[in-house]
Amino acid sequence: MPDGVLLWTRVTPTPESLPGSGAGPDVSVRWEVSADPAFTKVVARGTAATGPGRDHTVKVIATRLAPGASYWYRFILGQEISPVGRTRTAPAAGAPVDRLKFGVVSCANWQAGYFSSYRHLAARGDLDAVLHLGDYLYEYGPGEYQARDVVVRPHDPAHEMTQLAHYRRRHAQYKTDADLQALHAAAPFIVTWDDHESANDAWKGGAENHTEGAEGAWSGRFAAAHQAYAEWMPVRYEPGGQMYRRLDFGSLASLSMLDLRSYRDQQAANGTDPSISSTARTITGAAQMDWLLGNLKSTGPQWKLVGNPVMIAPVRVPSTLSTAELAGVQKLMGGTSISGVPYNVDQWDGYEADRNRVVRHLRDNAVKDAVFLTGDIHSGWACDIPADPASYPATGDSVAAELVCTSVTSDNLDDILNVPPRTGSVAVENAIKAANPHVKYLDFDSHGYSVLDVTAAGVRMDWYVLAERTSASSGSALSTSFNVQAGTGKVTPGQGGLQ
Amino acid sequence: MSRSPQQRTPAVNRRSTPGRRQFLKFAAAGGAAVVLSSAQGAAWAAPAAGRTRSYVLVVDGCRPDEITSALTPRLAGLRAAGTNFPAARSLPVMETIPNHVMMMTGVRPDRSGVPANAIFDRAGGVVRDLDRPTDLHFPTLLDRLQGRGLTTGSVLSKKYLYGIFGTRASYRWEPQPLLPVTGHAPDAATMDALLAMVGGPDPDFVFTNLGDIDRVGHSDLTGTTLRAAREAALADTDVQVGRFIDHLKGTGKWDSSVVMVLADHSMDWSLPSNVISIDLILQSRPELQSNVKIAQNGGADLLYWTGAEADRASGLAAVEQLVAAHEGVLAVNRPADLRLGAEAGDLVAYCRAGWRFSDPYVASNPIPGNHGHPATEPIPFFISGGSPLVVPGSVSSEPARTVDAAPTIGDIYGLTAPDGGYDGTSRSSALRL
Repeated sequence: MPDGVLLWTRVTPTPESLPGSGAGPDVSVRWEVSADPAFTKVVARGTAATGPGRDHTVKVIATRLAPGASYWYRFILGQEISPVGRTRTAPAAGAPVDRLKFGVVSCANWQAGYFSSYRHLAARGDLDAVLHLGDYLYEYGPGEYQARDVVVRPHDPAHEMTQLAHYRRRHAQYKTDADLQALHAAAPFIVTWDDHESANDAWKGGAENHTEGAEGAWSGRFAAAHQAYAEWMPVRYEPGGQMYRRLDFGSLASLSMLDLRSYRDQQAANGTDPSISSTARTITGAAQMDWLLGNLKSTGPQWKLVGNPVMIAPVRVPSTLSTAELAGVQKLMGGTSISGVPYNVDQWDGYEADRNRVVRHLRDNAVKDAVFLTGDIHSGWACDIPADPASYPATGDSVAAELVCTSVTSDNLDDILNVPPRTGSVAVENAIKAANPHVKYLDFDSHGYSVLDVTAAGVRMDWYVLAERTSASSGSALSTSFNVQAGTGKVTPGQGGLQ
Repeated sequence: MSRSPQQRTPAVNRRSTPGRRQFLKFAAAGGAAVVLSSAQGAAWAAPAAGRTRSYVLVVDGCRPDEITSALTPRLAGLRAAGTNFPAARSLPVMETIPNHVMMMTGVRPDRSGVPANAIFDRAGGVVRDLDRPTDLHFPTLLDRLQGRGLTTGSVLSKKYLYGIFGTRASYRWEPQPLLPVTGHAPDAATMDALLAMVGGPDPDFVFTNLGDIDRVGHSDLTGTTLRAAREAALADTDVQVGRFIDHLKGTGKWDSSVVMVLADHSMDWSLPSNVISIDLILQSRPELQSNVKIAQNGGADLLYWTGAEADRASGLAAVEQLVAAHEGVLAVNRPADLRLGAEAGDLVAYCRAGWRFSDPYVASNPIPGNHGHPATEPIPFFISGGSPLVVPGSVSSEPARTVDAAPTIGDIYGLTAPDGGYDGTSRSSALRL
């Protein structure tokens, strides 16, 4: 917000006040916001109450701050003073903004490796915020989902999380990661959830990884996941509230953060299921769709960024893959292996009527500079979103762009095929790009993070890849860049980038 | 006839003064003649040095994504050298006449009286173009700058534009030769006239419309199969713009020139099957059909209730419901919501992208390239030139609109806002004022 920021911490007032325990006293935590890191210019301070009822987490909304400014904050409990965090307010509404720079991440599986991506982003020192597009944590127990067959770091609790105490403990475990702590301390997070914050392929009435009855009622599990998320994440959402929301950054950009799990209908069985095009099924829910279309308009900030947990660009399975390749793609995407049909019905591909509404709205109203920023799929993509997939090969008409960051650690195609990176996956990537000409970039193998650079002239996404996700000290390197020039709605290779 | 992009200094041949106007004949490139007119007594000598020249060039119907370094290098170069507004858009109704009027008045149609190309003239009982000087009810930059002791010029390729702006400019060119069907002069001839204008009376401000891109757009069958024709027009218009730049540089005027380039609207293409006839929609309700007049504007239809006043509200509600139910109709608006004024009638229907209206008959609008609907709002809009006033190499998120042209140019000359103020916004971030 232009005049305020949300601050978050968690305190342990007594040894028994362990995450998920429900034990420990109610306490009052002091907080301070300063215009300098040495806290010689404190501009706001106060106290916040917490206790076992919210797992001793603290959320504070500090207000009356200046727009477009950096601040430093800390918490004080008794004689203990927290590490200092840096945050930043949004620019004033309608104010000119030369540049915005966001870290973009998703899919961080503790068991699959180390969060070096977070460390590298934290070290940059130039981020206005970090966009976390979901799968901030995973629900599985050790042995259920890790780095290929290796559990690099076991989850706590050592079983699938299904109850409130489990979700709280898992959140707490993730928050102990030094790299994650460093990134939270370096820049404000703008987050949304995808499925693994609750369970794999979640929808409003269940999930692929949920057994009704044996694992309790889905309604209770979903609510527990959301309560723990509200407690442990720096987000304004509170249980019973609304996760989807819009943030504005002066005249340069708006950011609509979607919730594609709370209102969606159950996934179709596969890509041949005729229900994927049913107008009776939704991925957003009616209210969120109306809200989204209202944000995607020609007035207001120039760039219409959308924090989009699952891919919206259509992707069809090519007909030229080997059986092994098809099986690998199917495992990665959780979808069908029949050529010519959508490969992942958990994405917008499985909810074609909703996607058509978005595409038609953008086309009919000539809404320019819409960019979908996406996670979920453990791979890097840069795509046009065709006005009409059938005529796209001839016209190249695109209504928007989609930029997909890869996973921080979670398995991708080379891991599933059990081949070295950039070997067996390359043919699959080429086949998918050939069958889907609006897909301009696809990296099925790398883990890492992205950096989004936004100016009036264009948006550029840089993909950085890790040398080795299972190494706690992994380096990272720039892999590629793609641009979206203002007014075009199309992705182009980033030769030198937009400055 | 081939035309050289190289500029020749126009030769001047003063003619006798017929009536209240005086005419001047210039020899243009290729041996053609350009005739300019002015108000009686206007000076034909170039004004004093040390001033700022400004030009608004309208590349009629150009889409912003059509300006590329490969296809239109001169326009792309101008855009890169100045300040670009990529979020720029046309305003309702996205047609030629109302947006040119908005450029020159700085106000919306509910104040200028010019909401569309075609309206139903209730007094005359006919659907007609708004091409008469008396249709425009608001002062324009062309006449207001003269009140500051400055001179202005109009070089407008389309007959109806020349019609509505009439003799408001100090110097004006009547478009010729007019091509059959399109009613516009080719860009090469228009550029001859502009060069003659700048080389001769050299007004402080000149308003120019280049119509070729739009006219080819209208005739391009699908936007794909005949895209080559569209691209040829873009390339040729770019050459003409290049002639203008070269002329300014060759005559030492570039360093004092501000050049604003924009379009009045962009272009959308429809398939022959994607045609909406509101008259046909209303056929099932003769009591409605007989009481509604339709002014077709490509991607927008203006509907006028002509029945009994007592039936107006219920009749329009029924019309709105029937029209909105058509799969090709995007929205049915009240003119006041679009700031269109009484001349726009009672309802304004927009089509979806890829559709067009054709009224009163399905065959009335055979051209697939259309505008007027929201899909045709995005336009190029940039401010460039050699003047030190121009901010170089900048891109702005500001939501520039056609109505911003007048306040922006007016700011260069310290022109105060008209009575009631501008509806547009000066894009002064592109200028060092």
